[in-house]
Amino acid sequence: MADPAITKLLQTTMDAMAVGSLYALIALGYTMVYGILRFINFAHSDIFMLGAWVSFVLARALGWAAPGAVAPVWAGPFAIVFVMVTCGALGFTIERLAYRPLRSAPRINVLITAIGVSLLLENVGQLPAAFGTQPQRMPTLLPDVALAEVGGVILRSVDLTVIGVAVVLMLVLEWVIYNTKLGLAMRAVSTDTRVAALMGIPVDRVISTTFVIGSSLAAAAGFLAAMKYPGLNQPAHSTWVLLGLKAFVAAVIGGIGNLRGAVAGGLLIGVVELFGAAYLSPHLRDVYVFSLLIAVLLFRPAGLLGQATVEKV
Amino acid sequence: MSGILEVDRVSIAFGGLKAVSDFHLSLPKGALHGLIGPNGAGKTTLFNMLTGVYKPDQGTVALEGRRIDGWAPHRIAAAGLARTFQNIRLFKELTVLDNVRVATHARTRVTVVGALLRSLAWTGEEAAVTESAEQLLGLFDLASRAHEQAGNLPYGDQRRLEIARALALRPSVLLLDEPAAGMNPQEKIELRRLIQRVRDEFGLTVLLIEHDMGLVMDICENITVLDHGVVIAVGTPHEVQRDPAVVEAYLGTGH
Repeated sequence: MADPAITKLLQTTMDAMAVGSLYALIALGYTMVYGILRFINFAHSDIFMLGAWVSFVLARALGWAAPGAVAPVWAGPFAIVFVMVTCGALGFTIERLAYRPLRSAPRINVLITAIGVSLLLENVGQLPAAFGTQPQRMPTLLPDVALAEVGGVILRSVDLTVIGVAVVLMLVLEWVIYNTKLGLAMRAVSTDTRVAALMGIPVDRVISTTFVIGSSLAAAAGFLAAMKYPGLNQPAHSTWVLLGLKAFVAAVIGGIGNLRGAVAGGLLIGVVELFGAAYLSPHLRDVYVFSLLIAVLLFRPAGLLGQATVEKV
Repeated sequence: MSGILEVDRVSIAFGGLKAVSDFHLSLPKGALHGLIGPNGAGKTTLFNMLTGVYKPDQGTVALEGRRIDGWAPHRIAAAGLARTFQNIRLFKELTVLDNVRVATHARTRVTVVGALLRSLAWTGEEAAVTESAEQLLGLFDLASRAHEQAGNLPYGDQRRLEIARALALRPSVLLLDEPAAGMNPQEKIELRRLIQRVRDEFGLTVLLIEHDMGLVMDICENITVLDHGVVIAVGTPHEVQRDPAVVEAYLGTGH
């Protein structure tokens, strides 16, 4: 018989890792766009929401959402690739239509446009032709079996898949950024956009690619979140906004513009939120996250892994 | 129209101010041409027009017989017009090697999907790019510093790295914007050798903005003098030095 205290500790750790890696996936998109364009893409959290809802619509269209239906083995992999591609294409389109025309406009204009795009996605999402205003239940597309029991905690394959897929995606991104010419071009553009262009880098294409990658990661996070928490709130529900906001907080805590910071920030927020909820009070989980934000901004404003910039006068 | 770089009647104005008017330049292949003039004469503005940072209001720019005015900067760079900067503008947070690799990469096409797919598939391209970047660093005595952050290099090394980075584009024409600025006399002597060597070994055509008259007069075959955006003299160093308009622009009237 396992000690209940240990069981609780292990269970909380497991949940913190799963939720934290989802925050990290979303935070990467915020931080990549900020690193290159120096603006906060407020529509990013809506891409996360769309990732979840598009996977639901796909499952419904293929008959996997019907009562008693059992999704085939390939349902999960197919769905995640599908949402990553569609949301990647959406991210490309948003950048092309909404942000690129404002490339030389003041940054506040782009910021306000991003808020507009966010509202647009939420409200179009509520149309009956899209997702509607009713909450839905996501069918299980990943094998959900109890794999083992460790210290009284049942290791479920869904939880491990969520963590595993998130980690793999982050490693792939890390590899792309630091080992490929695309990644090098992205780093060059984020350091000095104008000089990068003068060194032959097609800056607009690099920016488009950044949006495609960031959006597909957020979509993957949306799919994984729907697997772990199958109750999907309607597209404009405040839970989506709050999840996106916390991922943004993760990017800021890690040091906005810093990829590893975004991952560290996401995991840290997952830990703070779930341990706070488990050991202090479950009603204050958002308070812990935003208190951490305030503390970081007070004592280390550039974020945990960010470099403080010194303004030269 | 036989030169490798043909600039014809190029003009640009900012607000009411004519920064460059009717600029003309024809560089034969292999030329080492100087561009001098007092501060604010429009030299860097001209470089910015040639490289696509600004679009000229009028006039044409042709590189190897192709019109390039109005092109985006990255296309002009890929077409073979490379430059350095008056104030060093390296990618300071990248390594010395990556600074050069960035420009080497530019020669191959990047598309969104293609880049993603190729990034995921090891093609051997990366290795070839790294090797050619390392060779270039070797030529500039920077090989031992390849993995340092560019921003940590001493000043003279940063200047040389900027030239190495520009050469990684395999340009046909190299624009150098005050490469000797801030260098000590010894470094200037080395720079002079370097410019000549680079021109000869890479078969380049060089257009040089420089305030150090000793350097310009020494290495340039021909010189264009700009003042208030207007060409006031063109000729060999010897001719230009004796031109009364040039003397007046530099020293004022009354000589």
